[in-house]
Amino acid sequence: MFAFIVRRLLTIPITILLVVFVTFIVLRVTGDPVQIYLDINATPEQTALLRERLHLDEPLIVQFGLFLWDVLRGDFGMSLQFATPALPVVLGRLGATIQLVSVALLFAFVFGVAGGIVAALRKDRLPDFLLSALAVAGQSMPSFWLGILLIQTFALDLKWLPTSGTGSWQHLILPAVTLATFLLPNFILITRTTVLETRSELFLTTARSKGASESSIMFRHLLPNAINPVLSFLGLQMGRLVGGSIITETIFAWPGIGSLMIRSIFQRDVPVVIAAVFIVSIAIVLANLLVDILQSLIDPRMRLD
Amino acid sequence: MKRKTSPRSGGLRGVLALSAVGLWGLSAGLAGAQTLNVGVQGLPDSLDTAVSSFAALNMALQTMDALVLRDDTGKTMPGLAESWEAVDPLTWRFNLRDGVTFHDGTPFTAEDVKFTLDYILAPDSVYGSKSRIGQIESTAVVDEHTVEITTTVPFPTLIIGLSDIPIEPKHYVEKVGREAMIAAPMGTGPFVFESWVPGDRYALTANPDYWQGAPKVEGVLFRQIPEASTRAASLIAGENQIIEEIPIDIIPQIEQSEDVSVQGVETTVGLLLTFDTRNPPYDDVRVRRALNMAVNKPLIFDRLLQGKGAVLKGQMLTSNTFGFNPDLEEIPQDLEAAKALLEEAGYADGFDTSITTRSGKYLSDVDIASAVAGMFRDVNVNAGVNIVEQGVFSKMVQARDMGPLHMVGWYSVGDADFATVWFTEDSGRAYWKNDEYEELFTKARSTVDEAERLAAYNRMMEIMHEEVPAIFLFGLPSIYGMSDSLTGFEPPSDKIMRLWNAEIAAD
Repeated sequence: MFAFIVRRLLTIPITILLVVFVTFIVLRVTGDPVQIYLDINATPEQTALLRERLHLDEPLIVQFGLFLWDVLRGDFGMSLQFATPALPVVLGRLGATIQLVSVALLFAFVFGVAGGIVAALRKDRLPDFLLSALAVAGQSMPSFWLGILLIQTFALDLKWLPTSGTGSWQHLILPAVTLATFLLPNFILITRTTVLETRSELFLTTARSKGASESSIMFRHLLPNAINPVLSFLGLQMGRLVGGSIITETIFAWPGIGSLMIRSIFQRDVPVVIAAVFIVSIAIVLANLLVDILQSLIDPRMRLD
Repeated sequence: MKRKTSPRSGGLRGVLALSAVGLWGLSAGLAGAQTLNVGVQGLPDSLDTAVSSFAALNMALQTMDALVLRDDTGKTMPGLAESWEAVDPLTWRFNLRDGVTFHDGTPFTAEDVKFTLDYILAPDSVYGSKSRIGQIESTAVVDEHTVEITTTVPFPTLIIGLSDIPIEPKHYVEKVGREAMIAAPMGTGPFVFESWVPGDRYALTANPDYWQGAPKVEGVLFRQIPEASTRAASLIAGENQIIEEIPIDIIPQIEQSEDVSVQGVETTVGLLLTFDTRNPPYDDVRVRRALNMAVNKPLIFDRLLQGKGAVLKGQMLTSNTFGFNPDLEEIPQDLEAAKALLEEAGYADGFDTSITTRSGKYLSDVDIASAVAGMFRDVNVNAGVNIVEQGVFSKMVQARDMGPLHMVGWYSVGDADFATVWFTEDSGRAYWKNDEYEELFTKARSTVDEAERLAAYNRMMEIMHEEVPAIFLFGLPSIYGMSDSLTGFEPPSDKIMRLWNAEIAAD
């Protein structure tokens, strides 16, 4: 187990190096940050000064080398738009995103798994049809559309919740529901399928013949076996979740990494974009590691060493 | 007092409403002023005055003042300087306002002006608006309330340039340092900085000692809401009393809602479709004129801009700009004349062309480009619309190849100098060349005689009207949504919100 974790931790830098390299190159070849950052009336001297300061006069690969050396020392450079170091800018937004994503995940996971179990136990009956229909509907709703619909209904028509922004727990509800709806349908459908599959396994028949109670069968035998596919799915979806948070944060004016990232991309603020990608990649890799560990704890067959 | 009770809300809401009435009655006597909530598209990325975006200047000018202020129509008026005069073509004398204090109570003096201008003009500074006052040679303190600014060349746009320069408190910056000033800006402005959460909110409290009179609200809270439909929802829900940057397609939603309304104001941005005149067919003025005549501008204006802003009067300048030529008229649609001109130029069967535009840079930009392309078809010109992303656009700018026609809006901030420069050769953005235009531009830039300048710009507009280096489309509007309970606020033509007179009527 320990060796496995160490092995996985060692691959993180390679993954992240790759991600940072691709981001850097794509941003540099598609636009000139100087053009965007400086006032349109900027003098040639101003342009030259900034160009030199950003090493934009060097070949691309040298620029990347210089950049990487700085990154190794935790220095992502100065944000072009904020005129402050990039990493603290990103870290300052991390809290809001973690808050949003974790509430959304919790919501999606609890309701998804519960819904999936109910659908499986009531297979081909009304609850199953309803839940499956809901899942398909949820899956086909784009988040920006759902977000605006929720604002219209709960903030404008019913006046129960604020439209956007931060300040109280009420502000968190609509964005979290929107982001959760992104994952919830898949959780329902996957849980439903795996519960159905597990239910026909022989060890359940054995448990039942031993005289185990239905609740013990459910929580000690069925769930641990059914939950693993859901967990691996969760690991795979972390990237999509970040993508979803970009849209959700923008719609709901949630000051997290997602909205920072999209704005920085448009501003060609390379230091901030790369710092954000860096932090997000680490988060995704760590989340996947956590999923692997959880899985091997739940299911001894999955212990890798 | 109005309170809406919808049928479905039932008895409980009624009881709540009643108790709310009681509470309201109680608090009405206590609370006069309120906090004004403003939903903006984007907060500035930093409170550093060196950042030159409109968003940044809008925030800076809430807490700070410039020597020269602008009103909502863009006209300059005395700010921290009570009056000014050109002593000679290279020297300006500014008489500063007496009795103005910074938020910490320290009096504002000539030293603060010199400190600010010296900081900006230092050779290594990357201050965003530096070029607006770039021709200043030096600033001299004459006495506590008088400064003299010397320029390297006659510098007619100094006054309007100074309206973009917030004056910084020398004593404060020297004491706490630049970083601390950026983290907690201080000035002489109508509002006092309270807090700032990047990407989220910017909170201010009223400055009771403001020299133009204390603000009528207790404070202002700016909230960043990047998505336009959410911004509109926040206005309709009553969370914000002002929202900016409303896209055309959202206007009806707001207009249909109660207690809120939409107002548009013409900015100084003139939207153009610029021809690449270096290559056929646009090297021929007849073709350029024909395409100008092919476009039904009033129709596009009514449909795609909902009549907000203005149709340009056959020139690149908006009517609120110094240098605007009132004798010119918009070029009307005339398909027969256009066809005749094209035939004369040898393009009776038309040709293929394309319009380069960005998406979301200007109000309805892509829709306008598509509508124009559709109208070209009536004169047999087959135009595609090439939508490019900002990064690609900036590459095209550098390569000086924007395609046959490209959409661009040049802002003048009230003075022709800033807009007309883009059709001079030195700007690197022009394809069209005209010697007289260049001469007049240089002449207007090097005299402080207002009448002489006006004559030069008027003639330049005439030349452009004849030579049509671009299709003159619209003076773009800035569209604001406002709560009906708000008074004392007018939508500004320059995106700088003037809020010290704003007042929220009790419900």
